Amino acid sequence: MDNEQIIRTKDGSLAHLRTIHGDDAETLIANARYGFISGLIKDVLKKPAVEKTTATDRIDRLMLNRWLGIPLFMAILYGVFQFTFIVSEPFMDWIDTGFGWLSEQASGISPSWLGSLVADGIIGGVGAVLVFVPIIFLLYIALSILEDSGYLARAAFIMDRLMHRIGLHGRSFVSLMLGFGCSIPAIMSSRTIENPKDRLVTILVTPLISCGGRLPIYALFAAAFFTAHQGLVVFSMYAIGVILAILLAWVFRKKLVPGESGHFVMELPPYRLPTIVGVVAHMWERGWSFLSRAGTIIFSAVVLIWLLNYFNVLEHIGRAVAPVFIPAGFGQWQAAVALIFGVLAKETVVGTFGTLFAGAEAAGGFGQVISAELGWTPLIAFAFMAMVLLYIPCVATLGIVKRETNSFKWTWFTIIYTLVLGWTVATLIYQIGSLFV
Amino acid sequence: MTKKKITIALAGNPNSGKTTVFNNLTGARQHVGNWPGVTVEKKEGSCTFKGYTINVVDLPGVYSLTAYSLDEVIARDYVVDEKPDVVVDVVDASNLERNLYLAVQLLEMEANLVIALNMMDVAESREYQIDVKELSRLLGTPVVPMVAAWGKGTPELLDTVIAVAGGYQKVSGINLQYDHDVETEIVKLEKLISDSSLAEGYSPRWLAVKLLEEDEEIIGKIRQT
Repeated sequence: MDNEQIIRTKDGSLAHLRTIHGDDAETLIANARYGFISGLIKDVLKKPAVEKTTATDRIDRLMLNRWLGIPLFMAILYGVFQFTFIVSEPFMDWIDTGFGWLSEQASGISPSWLGSLVADGIIGGVGAVLVFVPIIFLLYIALSILEDSGYLARAAFIMDRLMHRIGLHGRSFVSLMLGFGCSIPAIMSSRTIENPKDRLVTILVTPLISCGGRLPIYALFAAAFFTAHQGLVVFSMYAIGVILAILLAWVFRKKLVPGESGHFVMELPPYRLPTIVGVVAHMWERGWSFLSRAGTIIFSAVVLIWLLNYFNVLEHIGRAVAPVFIPAGFGQWQAAVALIFGVLAKETVVGTFGTLFAGAEAAGGFGQVISAELGWTPLIAFAFMAMVLLYIPCVATLGIVKRETNSFKWTWFTIIYTLVLGWTVATLIYQIGSLFV
Repeated sequence: MTKKKITIALAGNPNSGKTTVFNNLTGARQHVGNWPGVTVEKKEGSCTFKGYTINVVDLPGVYSLTAYSLDEVIARDYVVDEKPDVVVDVVDASNLERNLYLAVQLLEMEANLVIALNMMDVAESREYQIDVKELSRLLGTPVVPMVAAWGKGTPELLDTVIAVAGGYQKVSGINLQYDHDVETEIVKLEKLISDSSLAEGYSPRWLAVKLLEEDEEIIGKIRQT
């Protein structure tokens, strides 16, 4: 009872203050704090008459340049992908050869069904994913360097202007950037966004940013179908993800949750030389989740896929779904199956192809076999990559979307809109591309 | 005998070097959990120093303690509800003005505050001169200069924490005066709160200020009790 009286008195006080000051009490109180602090600063802090230009200032003059900022950011990202692909290549070849040898040994196991399960199912499937460990770890090293050096904050700052125009905050872009590693920490990082509507929209579009788990898929198909331009093709996937995330954020912010967006000063910490320990620790944190997923979810998924295939059920499941994807060019049951299981963890798409086309390496390479058996062209491969990029996020990400939005409605919304978006984009790529190729 | 177990909450702005201070304090003795009811990561650790067991709770990095973001609410609720023995606010010495906003709010909450004045090296490289003694006097709270990145200042910080927790060193805090008209309303509300059951868990003045800031979370809490 008496508490209601407190609230009523407060309302009276606020109304009173508003009439005499024209300002909210909140502003008056904040002003008192700022006033106290600036008085205190005058007493305790002496700055040099001319602020020294620090190394950070000099680097920022270039990095944050109005015209050069965005091209430099693009160039750095492009450099990151080139670096990961070129450096990882020899390592991947070794691992590939190693699994090839293992698979040969295993196929001799009797009874023959067990040999096939181990060689085609487990080694073919899990191995197909593990081959990409070097690429993933190198990408994570590069991301850790960008983050620890302070550049990631600059990237967000550069994008802040653009983000404001679409009604979002530069901080949302930090979350999106973290999504290059994994959507889960990226979505969790959105809680630093003050405005709840900004936060919701950031959570909804973060899954469109291409994560580490999707990289093996691009790497596999880029190597098979775009030998000469692998880096460029993979880079284009990341670019499609970023552009669509920004575009949809704008649409969602306008249509779904209209209203004022929060304002906040962007934090620009000084550049620091990343420490080896820090970079390795960050790389390991991120990389470990990839490895443990390969050992758990992906392992179980490929065994399940092998079993379903062995008992001729897989093809039926695939055939039931496949027609949906005919307009996008990949209406084969194998692709449908890969997409279904890819929801468990996107790497499973690679694992599925690995299991279904075990022994492709010996038969002239993955690209050759896929072209021959599925009739895939580079255009179809590209449309498929776009589909994998955009369609339903993995279950772990959906779990986080549910927890952070605390709403089944928004979780279902994410599932449906990403599926529609992925299908539409893949179909557009295939249909429009077919006119030219 | 004073108690040999001390709990400290580590507060600070993002990029103030809070994580480094936390690592310096706790070393490998850390574990990660979740804050109750939410999925925000909660890091805790402990160390022993001069016979004391010091438990360190890492609060989310925030600029202020309003109810605008989940992180701010978590940090604030911990200080208000759990009443740690000492709150250590890690302040970036090269960004003093902005970082002090949080410190002032913690002092308004009448927290047992110790300021870890970190990144003194960066401030020095920019030729900033900081009168640490005067800062401590004006804020009414101990200030410990540090360079956490080089591991400098950790023992001094722990000494100060023990002194404050044991009551050997007093945190007198600040008496922040708001605008005259605001003060009148604060006093009015303070009186009502002091007469209610709310006065048991909260500082009446702090609640009054939060009410005038139209803090949704606090208003909700008052309605419920």
